[in-house]
Amino acid sequence: MLLAWMITFQAGQDLYVCKNASITLFSTAPIEDIKAETSTGASVFNAATGELNFTVLISSFKFPKSLMQEHFNSDYMESDKYPRATFKGKIAEKIDVTKDGSYPVNVTGDLTVHNVTMKRTISGTMTVKGGAISMKSEFMVKCADHHIDIPKIVFHNIAESIKMTVSANYVLYK
Amino acid sequence: MKRCIILLSFMLASVTLMAQKGDSDKKTTAADSLLNSMSNDDAKGPMEIYKSSRLVLSQSTKTIKKNNFNFLVIHRFGDFAGKNGGGKLYYGLDDVADVYIGFEYGLTDNLNIDMGRSTIGGLADLELKYAVLHQANGGSPFAITLLGETALRPYGKDFTKASDRFSYFGQVLIAHSFSPGNVLQIAPSVVRNNTPIPFVPGNDLDFIALNATLRLKLSKAAGFIIDYAHSFSSFQHTQGNGFSDPLGFGFEMETGGHVFTLNVTNARAVNEINYLSGTQSSYGRGQYRIGFTISRMFDFNGHKKDKKEKKEGNN
Repeated sequence: MLLAWMITFQAGQDLYVCKNASITLFSTAPIEDIKAETSTGASVFNAATGELNFTVLISSFKFPKSLMQEHFNSDYMESDKYPRATFKGKIAEKIDVTKDGSYPVNVTGDLTVHNVTMKRTISGTMTVKGGAISMKSEFMVKCADHHIDIPKIVFHNIAESIKMTVSANYVLYK
Repeated sequence: MKRCIILLSFMLASVTLMAQKGDSDKKTTAADSLLNSMSNDDAKGPMEIYKSSRLVLSQSTKTIKKNNFNFLVIHRFGDFAGKNGGGKLYYGLDDVADVYIGFEYGLTDNLNIDMGRSTIGGLADLELKYAVLHQANGGSPFAITLLGETALRPYGKDFTKASDRFSYFGQVLIAHSFSPGNVLQIAPSVVRNNTPIPFVPGNDLDFIALNATLRLKLSKAAGFIIDYAHSFSSFQHTQGNGFSDPLGFGFEMETGGHVFTLNVTNARAVNEINYLSGTQSSYGRGQYRIGFTISRMFDFNGHKKDKKEKKEGNN
């Protein structure tokens, strides 16, 4: 633990954090569209190494209907067993945090959802403006890839692929 | 031997886990450890231990959420076998023992108001259900819900004054989930009938009762329920008065928005006051019946939001 703190101190200059990343999921199915969102995603970006990590509490996703939220947690995501979804990746491009601008990025890493880890390359946009960094991305997650079973007789029909949007504003970690 | 291996592997796993915890700091990068320090607040929130607010005989500790409306149809057919059953009456399906039609509405996430009406006695009931405590990961091991009910028989000639038409019921539902979908519930209750039900000399007006219910998980969406009730009424347990303890078995199927329970009980009545006061049908005499519970949930939260979003879209 102490060692970790020391590393953190040493690398402190390049670490950017976001504690309120907004993450949205969309499911478009014939019967109904379902949208849920959370603004409590946490993310760390290491500008020196290009590391980009995310974590989000599954139960923090808010649905318009309480029953959907209950089913999402208990039937689909089993959030009592697997409380978090995470992403640990590395940006292929080099981002110059001292120069303002918008950079298209490709992040390759491990996406863990429902305790199943997939190697993914996810593209997004990183924007630097006056020392502040923000990130936006949109990608698809296939339920089957993460062993998320969709019960055959369900009222709330959900899509096989879920569209995720992520947006985070980073501040320098001190 | 098998057990030994499983036990050993568990021990190994936990040792490895502990070891990982110990040296994870060395392996992980700065970004990792910072993220870990930000994500150790895994909320230990309340658990939803039941799928449905109704079991077979008993209600569950579950309250429906705010602005949700749960429409209920609970049906008990006639005797399956015995004198009033058998093939001639299509094993009771031609007959109706009791039908309960009612609804539950969520005033808040923890407080519900329920209304309904039963065929038996024409009993109309008004209930308040309040979830005092939820079972939580790393929190309370039990869920506790209070249930208070006032019931009225608006029709019938056995009553001399208006107050005689009322019955009251109070219950404390205490449930514990051992693992997801497997729940044991114990529910002591008090029943008060202003007129003895059934209307027989010597019958108790007040008595205490106890319900015990076990729900076992069959799959993510399905469960098996055993539901038993006992009334501590000396009149009911006097030999020759012909009372039996209600006992029900149910198969619960949840289809998202609907919960459907197919059941078998000896109790004819659906309402707690009715079945705790007057179950005089027994398995031994073939007086058990098929029944079902249909619950359909309507959520008014979603609709409002949709409208708002549409409005915003139009503007």
